[in-house]
Amino acid sequence: MRLKGFVDTSFVDWDGKIVSTVFVPTCNLRCPFCFNHQLILHPEKYPDVPESAVTDFLKRNGDFVDGVCVSGGEPTTARGLKRFCQDIVSLGFKVKLDTNGTNPGALIELVSEGLVNYVAMDVKAPPDEKKYGLATGTRSPKVLESVKESVSFLIESGVDHEFRTTVVPSIHSDDDVEEIAKWLRGSRLYVLQKFQPERAWDRRLRKFHSQSDSEMERLASVASRHLGRVKWRGR
Amino acid sequence: MTDIALFVKVSRGDIVKWDRSKIVEALLRETKIAPKMAELISREVERTIVNSKIKFITAPLIREVVNEKLIEHGLEEERKQHTRLGLPIYDVEQMMVYKNKENANVPHGPESTNLVLAESIKKQYALLRVFTPGIAAAHEKGDLHLHNLGMIDRPYCSGNSLEYIKRFGLNLPNAISIAKPPKHPEVLIGQMIKFSAALQGVFSGAIGWDAVNLFFSPFLAGIDDKQMEQLAQMLIFEFAQQAVARGGQSIFSDLNLYWEVPKHFRDVPAVGPGGAFTGNDYEDYVEESRRFASALFRVYLQGDAFGRPFFFPKPQVHITEDFFSSEGYEDFLRLVAETSSEMGNPYYVFDRKGTAKISECCRLSFKLEKSDFEDAKSPWKMRYSAVQNVTINLPRIAYEASGDDAKLFELLGERMRLVAEAHRLKRDFVSSLLGLRGSGPLGLLAMDLDGEPYFRMRRATFLFGMLGLNEMVQYHLGKELHESDEALKFGLKVIAFMKKEAEALGEVYGMRFVLEQTPAESTAYRLAALDLKHYNGKANGVVKGNARSGDVYYTNSTYLNVGVRMSPIERVKKEGLFHPLIEAGSLSHIWIGEARPNPDSISNFVVKTFKNTMNDQIAFSPEFTCCLDCGRRSQMEVKKQ
Ligand code: SF4
Repeated sequence: MRLKGFVDTSFVDWDGKIVSTVFVPTCNLRCPFCFNHQLILHPEKYPDVPESAVTDFLKRNGDFVDGVCVSGGEPTTARGLKRFCQDIVSLGFKVKLDTNGTNPGALIELVSEGLVNYVAMDVKAPPDEKKYGLATGTRSPKVLESVKESVSFLIESGVDHEFRTTVVPSIHSDDDVEEIAKWLRGSRLYVLQKFQPERAWDRRLRKFHSQSDSEMERLASVASRHLGRVKWRGR
Repeated sequence: MTDIALFVKVSRGDIVKWDRSKIVEALLRETKIAPKMAELISREVERTIVNSKIKFITAPLIREVVNEKLIEHGLEEERKQHTRLGLPIYDVEQMMVYKNKENANVPHGPESTNLVLAESIKKQYALLRVFTPGIAAAHEKGDLHLHNLGMIDRPYCSGNSLEYIKRFGLNLPNAISIAKPPKHPEVLIGQMIKFSAALQGVFSGAIGWDAVNLFFSPFLAGIDDKQMEQLAQMLIFEFAQQAVARGGQSIFSDLNLYWEVPKHFRDVPAVGPGGAFTGNDYEDYVEESRRFASALFRVYLQGDAFGRPFFFPKPQVHITEDFFSSEGYEDFLRLVAETSSEMGNPYYVFDRKGTAKISECCRLSFKLEKSDFEDAKSPWKMRYSAVQNVTINLPRIAYEASGDDAKLFELLGERMRLVAEAHRLKRDFVSSLLGLRGSGPLGLLAMDLDGEPYFRMRRATFLFGMLGLNEMVQYHLGKELHESDEALKFGLKVIAFMKKEAEALGEVYGMRFVLEQTPAESTAYRLAALDLKHYNGKANGVVKGNARSGDVYYTNSTYLNVGVRMSPIERVKKEGLFHPLIEAGSLSHIWIGEARPNPDSISNFVVKTFKNTMNDQIAFSPEFTCCLDCGRRSQMEVKKQ
């Protein structure tokens, strides 16, 4: 699998776990607030990470590392994802998948074959075609349809998971957060993430400020009206 | 010659008529010169001064003229004995007016410049009078570094027990009033801080307190959560704000904290209010002890009024095998880990397999021995000190050995023998001051309330520090410690050699010689800069930092290159290999290039470090923190990446 980034030891990518995180440099969406766009637009600027660099590190440090977080970009757009997950699992490590949920087929396959132990899925907007299109920089109605299918699958599948939303001041209102929360009823964990204006793909968003800690607290309490566990993250 | 119309301004503050015999008197009093020679020199001095036709002269200038004549007569030893210590007026002005650029952490103010000026004179004194010319030269040239020379008349750092205050109150020699053993926790806090301030006046290094939450516990029975929180706040804020004290510095203080009751204190009768035994053992106060430890960390987690971390007192959390079977440890560890994530200040001290330590100044610790476990039955006896720390410049040895293994170890052995001698001289000097007992400058340490002086020389240690193992190995083998297994193994061989050598020297001298990881601070810069100057061809590719701007350093002690991005896992494992060899304490800093790492992931890492490595102690530095204690320079390097 083509990898373009490797954080050998991460304390932030999987709550409670020590993980190695790898990045896939391709994505099917164009979210205006995306902060990994350099990776997607100019993958050639980043050195390739051979899979062996990852597996060698894991073999040396299996006494500390709990698992591997496959992130991106969008991992399900990469060829060889399934085999990569198989390799990781066969080495005795857990796998966490970060996904935007647009490929329910791949998601279902990985989960049902026991190749993924935790899924963190982005929910970019309330289940409204226009809003979802705005938040993902796409027009295809299929995006929302697929995302809906993934949401239902994760809630019903029993696999450990979290849904998460990066809250962008000009895109998401309080009502939007509440709508998303309603949609995600029954999920295990919902996480609100702070916006990082300085790294936003769409330049027009860079003039906005990131939320304060107390603002995040408030948004989390809005979401909590409909959900069991809600958290927020961000510096 | 009494009719010479010349006036002298003397040091004690008066203006007197010229009197040649004063020169003779001073020479005979201060040096071992022959009376005839003293007479001759005084006449020569008089001639020089009279010939110059000046009407007014200061005593220091006369002294310099005398010194010049001593040199002319080849009386070098006498000149040294007769010399005057002091500073050029330009330097004094610079120090008084401008902030010290080299050490930005030192606050600038009249109190701190008093300290700096006094230290510069005591440092000159130490190099001239306490140490031999050979040792002084080795320090000046940079073969080694004698730490805290400006505080030559004090031991280095100390480990203390609250039980001493609880038993005897605040009963300091020369104190205007004496306080009885405390009856209330607030009073205990007050006495602890005042005693710490007093100790800071007689030690040059950190003031550590053992098992603080445990020893407070008999005072905390029946105290509600709110009061508990207030006491914790009081303790931390009062310590943290002592920067208004001596030299405008904070008290370098450490609080050793335990979740479980350490084995050696379990059956020990507890001292309660008023210095009386409560009738219970410490084991019976585990509940109060834990509540207080948690309360302290809640305060650390909140930080000061602006939410900034407290640098002092440093919390040192001890983790033993029993920790993992004690009730509620997971929640406590999570609280500490959250503090690491938000503030970065907790230190995790790993006491594996029945070892016990008291930690000071972020990495130094005193490992308890058999006799100490005996003392633990009356814990007020548990007072420890490291008298001096001398650091060896390891890379320079590699330059001088030019790739020859045998030569390298021979030179290292030579340097260590020099260090041992320096320790003996320091011990003799401090002992002579202690010998003056109550009337001497270290009267506080001579205080005897329990059958022996507060300062127990018999239990004192002397530290062999090392700087730049990484650069030593890099020059010798062409690879840094992290770059090859061979380099790492050679590094271990060097430190194992040092340990064995220190022990052997300790036998010879009848002193406790142990290895310590030197705190980097300015030594890392001083020695690298000296090597760059005197070993240019060799040091050039080895020193870290920016050789062109002169902003250079050597890697701290046995650390791996701090500027290289490396998995924290591999860092704790590899650095940990050195820790069992370094008895007086080691530390690995875990730089986390992420803000707010997940606290549960941090606890996970702590547990694995305890269980899977030999690492002695770790502390985390999340992206935003700036740590005042170690390697400021190197930290910036890391941050730039
Ligand atoms: S935010 Fe995620 S889904 Fe959106 S463009 Fe970036 S990588 Fe793709």
